[in-house]
Amino acid sequence: MGKHILEGHDRGGKTVIRMLRDAGVEVIYIIYGVPEDIVMAAKQEDVDVIGLSFFSGGYFENVPRLMKLMEQNNMKDVIIIIGGLIPDVDEPELLKMGVKGVFGPGSDLTKFIDMVKSHAEARV
Amino acid sequence: MFDKKTLEEGKKLSQEWQDICEKRYPGKDFSSTTNSGIPIKSVYTPLDVEHINYANDIGLPGIYPYMRDNYAIHYQFQPWINQQTHGYGLPEHTRERMDALAKAGMKGYFGGRAYNLVWDLPSYAGIDPDEPEAIGYIGKDGVSCVTDEDVDRMLHDLDLTKTNVVLINADTLPIFAHFIAYADQKSVPRDKLRGNTMNWQFTAWWLPSMLWDPEGGLKLATDLIQFCCKEMPGWNHTNFESHAISEMGANAVQQMAFGIATAMAVADSCVNAGIDPDAFMPGMGFQIANCNDLFEYICMFRAWRRLWARIAHEKYGCKKPSSMHLRVHTHTSCYELTKQQPLVNLIRTTLHALGAVFSGTTAMELPSYDEPIGIPTEEAAILSLRIQQVILEETGVTKVTDPLAGSYYVECLTNKIEEEGKKVLKQIDDMGGFMKALKGGWLVSQCRENALKWRRQVDSGERAVIGWNKFTVEEEEKIRPFRVDPEVARIAIERIKKYKAERNQAKTDAALRNLVAAAERLDKGEYGVVMPAAIEAAKAKATCGEISKALKKVFKWGPNYSSQTSY
Repeated sequence: MGKHILEGHDRGGKTVIRMLRDAGVEVIYIIYGVPEDIVMAAKQEDVDVIGLSFFSGGYFENVPRLMKLMEQNNMKDVIIIIGGLIPDVDEPELLKMGVKGVFGPGSDLTKFIDMVKSHAEARV
Repeated sequence: MFDKKTLEEGKKLSQEWQDICEKRYPGKDFSSTTNSGIPIKSVYTPLDVEHINYANDIGLPGIYPYMRDNYAIHYQFQPWINQQTHGYGLPEHTRERMDALAKAGMKGYFGGRAYNLVWDLPSYAGIDPDEPEAIGYIGKDGVSCVTDEDVDRMLHDLDLTKTNVVLINADTLPIFAHFIAYADQKSVPRDKLRGNTMNWQFTAWWLPSMLWDPEGGLKLATDLIQFCCKEMPGWNHTNFESHAISEMGANAVQQMAFGIATAMAVADSCVNAGIDPDAFMPGMGFQIANCNDLFEYICMFRAWRRLWARIAHEKYGCKKPSSMHLRVHTHTSCYELTKQQPLVNLIRTTLHALGAVFSGTTAMELPSYDEPIGIPTEEAAILSLRIQQVILEETGVTKVTDPLAGSYYVECLTNKIEEEGKKVLKQIDDMGGFMKALKGGWLVSQCRENALKWRRQVDSGERAVIGWNKFTVEEEEKIRPFRVDPEVARIAIERIKKYKAERNQAKTDAALRNLVAAAERLDKGEYGVVMPAAIEAAKAKATCGEISKALKKVFKWGPNYSSQTSY
């Protein structure tokens, strides 16, 4: 789970981490400055899923770069899930880019946790 | 508060009421709790407030301990200041919104202009637009404004002696230096400038991610206060962001107690720096959230005013009324607004705003109905301003100050919240003081626990949120978020490169070296030295990011891991 170094408010992100942990998921939390930081941490920890929380945009600029870096680092079996203040109208474009799930305000968190767990189980 | 005869009669009446209840609703319990868990009954009587001393504990507006209001006459003489937050894109974009809101009737005190300007996230961290970490965030959440030229693009032709300017930026010092440098250029006397800096170098610890280490942040905050007390006594130098504490999950009691504890840590630092409390206290203010539990937040507000006045007087020996006043910028609840059925947010915010007006707030900003998906469109921003205007102009609630005073319930709950707040303050003391409670992660974890509990209550349906888990609709119209012109980042980067290329580099470097030296002196305990050096650096065309970086050579800065790991 990553949050950009500039983003302050993290109520949603932290709530989600706690819920994942309670569901038996191991969560590595990082604060990143650039997408390279995410890839480095994800590789070191051999993660199954990269979750990114945004409250202030930034995804259209950072996600394509992240996807490219993941491709270069042979991380095709790692999925990206995005949450936070994401307007509905941005969801189709994010999915088209290859983001696996988009969870905006008020999303059903059981669906999110299921997505994380089922991918982690399938990847092992 | 009542004579014996009234209380005797009261007891008889209460017994009669009890009998009716038992007969009509046998075996049922209608007692409940406030949002923060304080037990409440379904009705209150004189018996609940018999121990309250009217003169000492309630009193009148404008008289110590100021529970009922700071001022003897408040809204009837002078309404609250409209402080709708605005800022996006380039400085000239923000100026467009400033003018649109002013045209829509946004007013400061005595009809003056007032602008509550918010900076973008790179500025919050002292990162310039041309740095890699800024990618994706330039001008998105606030204005990208990092030089005196940018300040001019935003504020040109405004009479700064008649304009109240709030600079919302966590890394306060660099932009404040540029603002003052700009005012100096325009020959506006510094003591004629009116407005507010956040001074969050220390208090931004509440907002995780980027910030100063608390010890260093406290020194920087105290330096700025020392400077203001000397050169800008009319400036409100510090804002305690209790709203952010509330947004993190704190309940009403915690919002008040944690907010006061933060303010006391800064006040202690000022006293240690040798500043007179009657000089620094009038420049302090709180940013407070009124949330869904209407009465609890009104009572919190009243209790806060009384508690703060007593702390100012008893602990810090303040004598001036303005030192004991709780100056409040209301920023109503955001976490309770929903993306679902977003127009319902207008109704929620209206109720929060009404609560703040019943509480006697001195300034108010209301989130827009579309904020769950981004910063406001112009239409949404003006609608939030209209809420303030309707309450002021149409409802008549401003005709009487502290209209709920004397309500058995309100007075009883006000006292209860104060008592509970004092318990939390004592708990922090027992833990070894504020700094320990903060750095050890206790304060943050208290908020996180509440946030988690809140979400679980929503998920289980125990807590109703209209449009989200109750009275939902199948298909919703997807509202379009406000978008900043995508060209903004490119132009901001071009401008800063040009600014750096055209300046006298040797002069800039020398000023930045002087700033580092001043920061070293501050680190050794000499106050009021960094701000003047930062202003000189701004005049030598050092950008906000460069000023920030000079300070980062001396004071530790980085992610707040202790708060981050407190889930």
